[in-house]
This record gives sequence, C-alpha cells and structure tokens, in this order.
Amino acid sequence: QVSVLYFARSAELAGLRCETLSVPRQITSLQLWEEIVKVHPRLAVIRDQVVFAVRQEYVLLGEQLLVLQPGDEVAIIPPISGG
Amino acid sequence: MDECEDVPNDFIKLKPEKLSVDEVSELVISPYCGAVSLFIGTTRNNFEGKKVIHLEYEAYTSMAETEIKKICRDVRQKWPSVKHIAVHHRLGVVPITEASVIIAVSSPHRAESLEAVMYCINTLKASVPIWKKEIYEDEYSWKENKECFWANSEK
Repeated sequence: QVSVLYFARSAELAGLRCETLSVPRQITSLQLWEEIVKVHPRLAVIRDQVVFAVRQEYVLLGEQLLVLQPGDEVAIIPPISGG
Repeated sequence: MDECEDVPNDFIKLKPEKLSVDEVSELVISPYCGAVSLFIGTTRNNFEGKKVIHLEYEAYTSMAETEIKKICRDVRQKWPSVKHIAVHHRLGVVPITEASVIIAVSSPHRAESLEAVMYCINTLKASVPIWKKEIYEDEYSWKENKECFWANSEK
C-alpha cells in the first residue's frame, strides 16, 4: 500500500490530493500509472506530461522497475512552474 | 548570535506570507563577504494579451525543500567561496507586483554570488516541485516552465 499524492492539474482531474492505493511491490512506472488511471480515468489526458516522484525522486513513466515499500510516497508531478 | 559565525548556511522557506527583501538579504549578510546578490521574481499583470488577476502557487513542500537543498549543495560545489544562500518562495495567492520568490547569495567577491543566484533561479525552475496557476478574468491556466523537461510545449 502506497500513498499517492496529486498536485496541480492532476489534483483537479482526480478530484483529490491524497489517497492510499494497493499496488504490487514490484511494478514498472508505466504499470503504476495505469493502475492509477483505472481509479481516476480523467487523468489519462495528462499522461504525456507527467512524471512521478517516488520517495521524492523523479521517475519517468516507462519501463523502470520500482520496488515499493508499504507507506512509500508516490506523487504525480505535472509540468512544474516554480519561481 | 552565532558562536560559529563562519559556518555557511542555507536558508530555505516556503510560506504563504508576503516575502521580505530586507529579511532575505539580512539572512545572507556576512562580515566576510563583500557581495550579496539578489533575485526577486515578481508577478506580472499580463500574459499573451490576457489580464492576470493574481497567481496561486502550490508545492510538494517536503520534496521542494529537498530539491532546493540539492541546488544549494550544487552551488557550493561550483562556487566554493559562496557563504550563505537564502531561497524564499511564497505559496498560495500572490497579488500582482508582489514577490513570489527571493533568492540571495553572499560571497567575498561579486562574480560568484551573481553567477550563483542565476544558477539557483534557473535550476529551481527546472527541478523544484512548485506549480503556478495564473488567474485571468474569466479562466485560469496552470503554467509550465520551459525549463521543465517533461512539459510538452509543442502540444
């Protein structure tokens, strides 16, 4: 079980900022995205513009294998605009 | 005051209150430094012909602070003479002409602090998880920094 955090546009599309999700311990970042979109189909429109932050490290959506621990934070990161 | 006055420090703050240039510059002033360089990012009142009413910022706060710390670490590697670094970013509503970010760097001589400040703001825009929403009269828009490598500006 991981904590999924939503920000900016992704929070608007998902309708929430934070939830727990049950996912396999080992999963590619793309598969993780697909699990999340199953729960929040409206997120599909931003698929090409987001990255993840897993345990606060950026991860692209793709074949990268993630090894997740219970309680890990996974954040959906739309294009940033700080400063 | 400080027992160890010489220890270089990073001052990082994300907060909803109005930012203060005086406060941020005072954080980095040091008797060993002859230069303090500052960058202030302020909110513009227009974008592509549309009137901007105000900006709203949100952040993945814990990761934003970590990423800013990484930037400070990089600065000290590239410019070892840099003494103190302060990065204050405002969150929530920022009215027009008010500051959304203030960066200050001190160093013994001016070249390093000037270059370090530029590096800080450029890298912040590329890597720190903070988002800005521009509020217009009848709509709004989530902005995307061109420095952000996962934004699709051609779309």
